[in-house]
Amino acid sequence: MKEGGDSGLERLSSGVTGLDIILGGGFLAGGLYIIQGQPGTGKTTFGNQICFNHVAGGGQALYVTLLAEYHARMMQHLSIMSFFDISKIPDQLTYFNCLQVLHDEGLKGLLALLRREITTRGASILVLDGIVSARRAAEDEEAFNQFVHELQAIAIATDCTMFLLTSSRGTQVTPEHTMVDGIIEFTDQLVGWSAESSLQVIKFRGSASLRGRHAFKITGKGIVVHPRIEALLARPSRPDVGGTGRVSSGLDQLDVMLGGGLPTSSTTMIMGPSGTGKTTLGLQFLARCCEAEPGLLFGFYETPARLDAKIAGVCRPLRGLIDQGAVEVIWQPPTEDLLDAYGERLLQAVQRRKVKKLFIDGLGAFRQASGIEPNRIGNFLTALMNEMRVLGVTTVYTLEVPDIMGPSIRTPIGDLSSLAENLVLLRFAELGARLRRLISVLKVRDSQFDGSLHEYVTSDQGLVIEATADSAERIMVGLANLREDEQDGITQPREGRDLL
Amino acid sequence: MTGIVLVVDDEFGIAELIDAVLTDEGHRVLTAINGRQGLAMMAKERPDLVFLDYMMPVMDGAEVLSAMAGDPSVAKVPVVLMSSMPEATVAERCSGYTAFMRKPFKIAQVVTLTVKLLNRDGPDGQGAL
Repeated sequence: MKEGGDSGLERLSSGVTGLDIILGGGFLAGGLYIIQGQPGTGKTTFGNQICFNHVAGGGQALYVTLLAEYHARMMQHLSIMSFFDISKIPDQLTYFNCLQVLHDEGLKGLLALLRREITTRGASILVLDGIVSARRAAEDEEAFNQFVHELQAIAIATDCTMFLLTSSRGTQVTPEHTMVDGIIEFTDQLVGWSAESSLQVIKFRGSASLRGRHAFKITGKGIVVHPRIEALLARPSRPDVGGTGRVSSGLDQLDVMLGGGLPTSSTTMIMGPSGTGKTTLGLQFLARCCEAEPGLLFGFYETPARLDAKIAGVCRPLRGLIDQGAVEVIWQPPTEDLLDAYGERLLQAVQRRKVKKLFIDGLGAFRQASGIEPNRIGNFLTALMNEMRVLGVTTVYTLEVPDIMGPSIRTPIGDLSSLAENLVLLRFAELGARLRRLISVLKVRDSQFDGSLHEYVTSDQGLVIEATADSAERIMVGLANLREDEQDGITQPREGRDLL
Repeated sequence: MTGIVLVVDDEFGIAELIDAVLTDEGHRVLTAINGRQGLAMMAKERPDLVFLDYMMPVMDGAEVLSAMAGDPSVAKVPVVLMSSMPEATVAERCSGYTAFMRKPFKIAQVVTLTVKLLNRDGPDGQGAL
């Protein structure tokens, strides 16, 4: 469980998914850490999880409560967690309640007991749950500081990493905060009717850590932390060498409009109202994958069954690629997880198969998952897309845009230019009693492109785009005539009905 | 029959609960927070029954049972071993207890076991009930 870090200080892996990444490799062996948070935020689960992970690797751990909490009850609650392994108790993991020792013998007695038990058992992790009791037992602040100081001396002398679990004291800084090697704060925050848990490394000596808040969940596996994507990828994992060449969009005519296809390793946003064929276009993009250039469909709204039906209906070649493993489909409902969990899953899926073509169907799901911090979405996507770029991934994603008013496009995620290098717009146009579809390229990275509108239809071959802009021209003219009719009072359409 | 009952447990809430229940039943109850304290109390006053926690600091239940077995003055005193772990796990690590009570337990179990063990014809100090 112990590993050497960059600083040369020995590291102790927490075994808590995601946390070691935030800590730059784990806790420092022999360090003293405060884990603070309101009751119910997961401190006890965390403390136990660290102990069980440690003993699973052959270490010895000691869990000491200073609370009127019953170990039997605690174990009942923990027994549903996958990390809980009763066979490790008591030989490798021992539970003591030392509240009475504290009452009878004070802090000195408690220190003596801890030192003896750590030494006798060779414990390399100590969790002290309920440090508030020790504070209450102290005669004064000085006595408590002395206790923490001596505890730190024991930690260093025995190479035992210690975790002091305590209820949050908010923003109040107490002397022990300045003495310990690190502080992690757990927070639970209401978001509408639901709650979100997050942690923050407030202090971490001897190493850099990912600053700011990171979301976590308490699952059947215990605490799972999701490092904030924009912190994790603040700098892409490798230099951007600048992709050259072009990648087919999946539609020959669209490739022509794009000036030769999508620039390699670029990001493309397909915008448009519901029903315009955004997903179909994305499927066609993936249908040009091959074993050497694997693809990934990362979707939210179309369930696997609906997706299968759509592929059968409009993009049959993709079926074979999925069956052969050249394209992977990962689907999750947009309400299932945390924003960073989605980002992490996407990143891992891309890295695992060295994906070269990525289609994210439903960018709005990221915004939906951003919950309490919708303003995060811009930085989140920028960091994620920067990483995709350096990994050589050409990304296409869809965004539902209900309001397209002439040249003005309002999106739910703010500044488009920072999120996509190429913009493709799909829209409806009403011509008389018929609904027509138009596609246009609004932007291509560092490239000339055909910016004219083209009509397209959906068919069992997917989207089929007109080779010229002629029919789109006629549609636009027809619309202009209709507007004149409206002005004459012949029809009374709803406001904005006929605007593009 | 009433008697002297010693409860040895670092979880003082449990020791106090057993103390209160058995005091109500007319027994005299002594408490200790670890095995060493428990043995010291036995040396002063021989109990008729011991409720002994397995996992404790300073001296655990297995060490207490071993010490009691080697001391003729208390070797025959019946012991109820208590633990959050299954009996099989505990039994691999110690012997010499009379009954096993898994935590968390019910008050009725404490009363029933106490009556049963204090009213036995003759303590044999061995075997779970």
